[in-house]
Amino acid sequence: MLNTENKGLLIFFYCCIAIFSAICLVPFILAVSGSLSTESRIAAEGYSFWPRGFTFETYEFLFGSKAQQILRAYSMSVIVTVLGTVSAVLVTTAYAYVISVKSFRLKNFFAFFAYFTMLFSGGTLPWYLLSTKYYHLGDTLIGLFIPYVLSVFLMFLMANYFRSIPHEIVESAQIDGAGHLRIFFSIMIPLGRVGLVTISLFYALQFWNDFYLPLMLVTDQKLYTIQYLMYNMMANIQFLASGNAAQVGGAIIAPPLETAKMAMTCLTVLPIAILYPFLQRFFVKGIIVGSVKG
Amino acid sequence: MMQEATPETQGRLSPGIRAARAKSFRKSLKKDSTLYLLALPGIVILILFAYLPMSGLILVFKNYNFNDGIFGSPWAGFSNFEFFFSSMEDSLRATRNTVMLNALYMLTGTFFSVAIAIILNELRSKWFIKITQSVMFFPYFISWIIIGAILFSLLDYDKGIMNQLLQTLGISQVDWYSSPWLFVIILVLANIWKSAGYGAIIYYAVLQGIDTSYYEAAKIDGASRWQIITRITVPMLIPSIILMTLLGIGGMLKGDLSMIMGVTFLNPLLLPTTDIIDVYVYRTAIRSGEFGFASAITLYQSVFGFILVLVANKLAGWYDKDSKLF
Repeated sequence: MLNTENKGLLIFFYCCIAIFSAICLVPFILAVSGSLSTESRIAAEGYSFWPRGFTFETYEFLFGSKAQQILRAYSMSVIVTVLGTVSAVLVTTAYAYVISVKSFRLKNFFAFFAYFTMLFSGGTLPWYLLSTKYYHLGDTLIGLFIPYVLSVFLMFLMANYFRSIPHEIVESAQIDGAGHLRIFFSIMIPLGRVGLVTISLFYALQFWNDFYLPLMLVTDQKLYTIQYLMYNMMANIQFLASGNAAQVGGAIIAPPLETAKMAMTCLTVLPIAILYPFLQRFFVKGIIVGSVKG
Repeated sequence: MMQEATPETQGRLSPGIRAARAKSFRKSLKKDSTLYLLALPGIVILILFAYLPMSGLILVFKNYNFNDGIFGSPWAGFSNFEFFFSSMEDSLRATRNTVMLNALYMLTGTFFSVAIAIILNELRSKWFIKITQSVMFFPYFISWIIIGAILFSLLDYDKGIMNQLLQTLGISQVDWYSSPWLFVIILVLANIWKSAGYGAIIYYAVLQGIDTSYYEAAKIDGASRWQIITRITVPMLIPSIILMTLLGIGGMLKGDLSMIMGVTFLNPLLLPTTDIIDVYVYRTAIRSGEFGFASAITLYQSVFGFILVLVANKLAGWYDKDSKLF
């Protein structure tokens, strides 16, 4: 079957994908290599793909002098991710169940009530003013996750899972006298577990990576998440590099250590990198179900 | 438009049926009270963080001060708009940047996602597809802050890999962080790097659903691999591409604040091309406290965005009735 034209094209295709995959991984190699290099050689020779003067100095430095700050930011991120994911999954599945109940007369209204917010928004400013002035979410722990506990997209994804559960099961439970709460907790949740895992993962990823909420609502250093700590480190170093140091005088400036930035990068990505091989297939499944219309 | 059309709401009802409906509605309120209770937390969240901010747009007619709040501040008439038009240049720059960057992301992102999906569809080695797909999907999991940090190690003037490379090739070094137009390319590439693998999964899933008999028939007719791609695979993907693009148009005026903040650290030298509307609002309102002015921008963003959503919906309706958003 294979003639030469086909074979050449196929080899070209394999190369394209291999190259793009490599490009996707290369930056991480750069980060790991940077974190394992010595500061002086990075300063003199620049970054490289192979550690310059292989050493664990940077990590020792971070765990030595910065340990408290980093650990606090790390545990803050873990707390926000756990609290956020648990509450988001509860709120989302409950809402998704309501709009998936076939006999519920207002299901379309509730679906549209959520959908409408995907189309229109009041913008950043009114959101910010309401959150800080009226809901008093500034510098609070719940401010770091409450605004995100209902992602309308994931809610519809979950509703699709619930709708795919055979209606006969629900009907027979109703005949046996089960109410909505009973059906929700003992039938829908166990049977919708694939969907539940998918949206939990999407939420967890969102909360772990989020830095919009701390940016908007947090000034207290105690509430810095790892992503926001990272941002502050980077932004301050950038300020120093662009010669604006005088303007930020008085601000607390992290030591301008190139290798420390790379080590922080590695530490932030580490949990994702460890869990990724186990979780990746759920995400793929989730995206595919989400992209199928209906 | 306010409510999804269902057979129930479409038909005209006689008064008798209507009364019966009202009665059964009161019944349902009692019967379905659990359902209302389950939906309640979600409703509260939507009202607090989506619906009330919409009403906050009245800010544009107010002379906002922090003590009186959104509803207590004195009315300002149209003076905020005068302010808005007086710095038209900045507003237009922010609009241009937002639309330009989003359009570029959409064009290049779609192209690369589709290309990757088509190529993956041609490959036969299952383990190769699995591994590369996982690898390409990985950047999607990384926050823009981290991407920004890694980009810095690539693009830094003295220590960055890119300039080292240029030096070895004998080309003069580039100061990436003070080249606004070069940085557009960098943002576009970073966006492809982060999201092309994710997008490819969607299109790849569509391709997996194509009836294999089309391919078999083409092979029997002696079509080459290239002919099969251009005559069967691409046409099969076009409906999904159009749908995804139309969905994207509505979001054309929404920028990604995290991306710009994470990648450029609000570097003032890059603002000529990276000052998108959300960044502009953040800089003028949240950082400097010029609320009235920024609310005029926000209103403009919402109104313009609203028009785009309506246009996208209309286009989707022309293309395919089922693709209509509402």
